[in-house]
Formats: sequence, C-alpha cells, structure tokens
Amino acid sequence: MSGEPLREARPATDPDLADVLAAQRDRAAFGRLYRRYVDRVYGYAFYLLGDHHDAEDATERTFLAALAALERYRDTGSTFRAWLFRIAHNQLANALRARGRQQEASLDAVVEQATDDDPAGALGRAEDRRRLQRALEELPEDRRQVVVLRFVDGLSAREIGAVLDRSEGAVRVLQHRALRDLAAILER
Amino acid sequence: MTSQPTRAERLDRAVDEVLDGVTPGIAAASVGLDQSDRPLVRTAASLRGAFEATLVAPRFEARLGARLAGATGSPWILRHPGRLIVTGAVGSAVGVGVTAYAVWRSSRRPGVAVRLAHR
Repeated sequence: MSGEPLREARPATDPDLADVLAAQRDRAAFGRLYRRYVDRVYGYAFYLLGDHHDAEDATERTFLAALAALERYRDTGSTFRAWLFRIAHNQLANALRARGRQQEASLDAVVEQATDDDPAGALGRAEDRRRLQRALEELPEDRRQVVVLRFVDGLSAREIGAVLDRSEGAVRVLQHRALRDLAAILER
Repeated sequence: MTSQPTRAERLDRAVDEVLDGVTPGIAAASVGLDQSDRPLVRTAASLRGAFEATLVAPRFEARLGARLAGATGSPWILRHPGRLIVTGAVGSAVGVGVTAYAVWRSSRRPGVAVRLAHR
C-alpha cells in the first residue's frame, strides 16, 4: 500500500536505443524513429501552440534538428524520446518567443479533428474535450507543458524532467498542482 | 530504509495506472492515495480520454518525409511512401498536360507558325 516503495520510473533499457544506434550507423534507419514519433511530436507542438501551421513548422524543425544532431546523441541515463522532446521543447520556446505571447490561438480546432462512429457520443466527448482544453489554457505554461507531455505524449515524470530541465520530483509536484488546478477550474 | 512516498509521488503512480487503462478508483486505491487527492485521479482519467492522438496531415508528412528522405538518402522514411509517389505522379501529370496544351495551342496559332517559318 502506501508504504510500498515506488517502482523505478526509468525503463530498464531505452526501447528506442537499438534504432538510435542503427540510425547513427545508417541515417536511413532514422525513418523508424521518425514514423514512431512524428504524430507525438506534432501533438505536443499543437497542444502547446494551438495552431496547425505553427505545429507543423515546429515538428519539421524538430526532426531536422534531431537528424542533424543524432550522431552526437549518447545514452546518458534518459531516453531517446526525452532527448527528442527536449529538442521539440526548444523549438516551441522559440516559436512562443517569436509569437510574442504564450498562447495565441484557441485550441477549439483540436476538437474538430475528432472523428467517431457514434455521433451522439462524439458530441458529448467533444464537449468534454472543449472544457478540458479551455481549462488547460488557464494553467501556467510549466504546468500545461507537464500535462501535455504526460497525457498527450505519455512521457514519465523522469523523461519530462529531462525535457523541461527539472528534477523528477519537481515534475511530480507540477503535475499535482496542474491536476488540482484543473479539477478546481472544471468544478466552477 | 525506504522513505514514504510523497503525495505527488503517489499521485504520479496513480496517473501511471490510469494511463495504463486502470479505472480511477482502482488506481487511487492501489497506491494508497489520500482521500483529498482522489478527485485528481478522475481529472487525470478525463485528460487521458480528452487528448486523442493528433495525426499529422498527409501533405505535411509527405513534405517533411521528402526533406528527411533527401537528408538520409532513403525514401522509406515515409510511413506512406505511396503518398509521395502519388503526389509526384500527379505533379508530373499536370506538368505534362500543361506542356501538351501549350504545344497544341501554339500549333493552332498561325502567327506563331508564320513567325517560326520566317526565322
């Protein structure tokens, strides 16, 4: 129960490591990593920037930068995906700086992407999504980043720490505060 | 000696469970979450359901894939190489059509033929 030690967040081995090593030997093997992560990097960019074109631009810059830097990648205790999302994070920071403010566009467009075979159910889910996304927009940027990386991209607290240059514990605290804030906003 | 996990650590563990598909109630109970934090696990479950996979547009993927393929020397970097091939084929067909139309138009304009004949 509560006294049980927490399991180690880091996977025993980086599941991408074999593909990374292959891509370092032969750049053509980068295709596997690209195919695995293009949607997730795009999702991260889109939920943070709220604009398809900006998200595409950030995704493109991320993969081109990752490919250019791949030879320098070393397994230093985190994972390839944390390294890749760190590059994406830097691209997003540049995009947000260029934009001049933290969040410009509405995330409503995300809802339009949803497709479903059950129109009534889809409508309810779309409304839920809209509420959650509006609540998300009210969070400070660091908490929003944690929520997107955790729930859109499925990164662990340790990996998010590597992306945001925070400790694993700090990420958990940010996550706790973000969920507390979201719960309060949704109850209003 | 093992230290007791903090509230944030317990919540993170419950979020792990939720992301693995465990229901909020079971996830909260399995990590011994404080009663006051249990609503947060429900919020986490809502977030998991809300953020559907966001897929890149095929045209964008073709463009980025083509750039990466150029950099790596492999067309198989694309998830759907056919899209690039189809895009290229359509582009070529349009080009051929435009050229053929231009040739046909110029062949029906006597002025052009006359000018060419007098060169």
